[in-house]
Amino acid sequence: MNAPNEWALLVEGLGKVYGPGGAEAVPGTGPDFGRTVSPSTGAIVGCWDIDLEVVPGEALGVIGESGSGKSTVMRCIAGDQTATTGQARLRSVDDGATNLFDMEPSARRALRIDQLAVVYQDPSEGLDLGVSAGGNIADRLTAAGWRNFGQIRARAAELLARTEVPLDRMDDPVGTFSGGMRQRVQLAKALANRPSVLLLDEPTTGLDASVAAGVLDLIRDLLDETGVGAVVVSHDFNVIEMLTRRSVVMHHGRIVEQGLTDQLLEDPQHPYSQRLVGAARG
Amino acid sequence: MNSETLNSEALSSETLLSTRGLDKTFTLHAVDGRIIDGLQGIDLDVHVNEHLCLAGLSGAGKSSLLKCIHRTYASDRGAILYRTEANVVVDLLELADRDMADLREREIGYVSQFLRAEPRRGVLDVVTRRAVRMGVAHDEAADRAAEVLRRVNIDENLWATYPSLLSGGEKQRVNLAAGLVVAPRLVLLDEPVSALDPANRSAVLDVIADLTARGATVLSVFHDLGAIRQLADRVAVMSGGRIIDIGPAGPVLDRGMELIPT
Repeated sequence: MNAPNEWALLVEGLGKVYGPGGAEAVPGTGPDFGRTVSPSTGAIVGCWDIDLEVVPGEALGVIGESGSGKSTVMRCIAGDQTATTGQARLRSVDDGATNLFDMEPSARRALRIDQLAVVYQDPSEGLDLGVSAGGNIADRLTAAGWRNFGQIRARAAELLARTEVPLDRMDDPVGTFSGGMRQRVQLAKALANRPSVLLLDEPTTGLDASVAAGVLDLIRDLLDETGVGAVVVSHDFNVIEMLTRRSVVMHHGRIVEQGLTDQLLEDPQHPYSQRLVGAARG
Repeated sequence: MNSETLNSEALSSETLLSTRGLDKTFTLHAVDGRIIDGLQGIDLDVHVNEHLCLAGLSGAGKSSLLKCIHRTYASDRGAILYRTEANVVVDLLELADRDMADLREREIGYVSQFLRAEPRRGVLDVVTRRAVRMGVAHDEAADRAAEVLRRVNIDENLWATYPSLLSGGEKQRVNLAAGLVVAPRLVLLDEPVSALDPANRSAVLDVIADLTARGATVLSVFHDLGAIRQLADRVAVMSGGRIIDIGPAGPVLDRGMELIPT
């Protein structure tokens, strides 16, 4: 019902091989063979044949157990790792004409300032823990060209207020914050320059249940408010269920099933999805 | 919605939804691929603005049918034709996932007996946010939420409480309030009054009766003959994954008593 091709993020044929060689490692790996290590080359096929599409305001879930390749997908899209093959396009970059995987490293890194933001499970990957909350956000703003100190300070305060970080902690090093608070600062920083796509990698994993619920709640609100397109990687079905309408299930580096999130959780079709959901929900 | 769009003549004008040869099985891969029958060749027309109730014993396939229509269950084969608000006929089974998700947000609502609310939000907030998500401005959404909560007898003292702290019956009513604060065009109701005492049950049945009075179409499952008699225009009796009788509520209920729990 949407006009076709309204995607904010398009990923096609993404593959990542760790180790020597490239596509020749793929035969003999994947769910059909129950392994990710190539029998011929010994390389590890982190992910292969990955297609994803996200429209503005939509969150797509990526479900799978540890080692299924979901974080590899995320990191290849983010640019933390180099994809072996495939393409990723952002509508906000050359109206989708440019494959991000072909960009110069410096230009690729610059996308992270205001186009493609990431929230990591480990806040130390998204934040400088030795720098204050306000300073972390100011970094992101100055990278986008903000110069006026008062305006930077006001915007940082606005973002921290929105993510429910007490403003009297604004000038404290993030390393002195609790886990939940660090995730809130990560969110504030990620959204500082209004990116078109947000990648969330296990954003609440490792937090106490009540703290996780609060952060999840905040993420849900921010997705609604900003209209950002999001990819949510999580092994926690409650997170996926609360944040996403559609999801994909990954196993041994491949997408084995995709569909409406509630259908994947209530009536999974693929044997692996059934095992995964059965194990988690009993 | 291009290839999925059908000629609007594919459904007669009085029909909102029509399942054609709908089959559903469950394959249990963990149990040597055992196949369990769910639905077999369901042909069912739901008329515009009627309340059609699915009756039958436990395991007859009533909830499965609702869930197949909502696409919470993946159907094996068949078609589910639906006439959208824009008077376009689509096959729900052919719709892209995203289009189905959009349709759920705007037109087709499923209300179960279980509350699925975000944690750490008050009751009023849960219901208000649902209305906002369905396109109502925030102030009006809060007014509507308050109105529907009053109608299902949720005491104002509880409006700031987290739903997780409520009783089973209160949760069920909050869930119904959230599902109906903006009435979908097609409401799929899956045993919405199973946990309610008589007074609250009566209040909830009034709210449900109001849905059709205000123009919505309802397809429901009740384990409660009284509710069916009060609400249903027509009844379809299910057994073994098939529809074995359908027609105006009174006669169908009178001749099918042994297949309907009382």
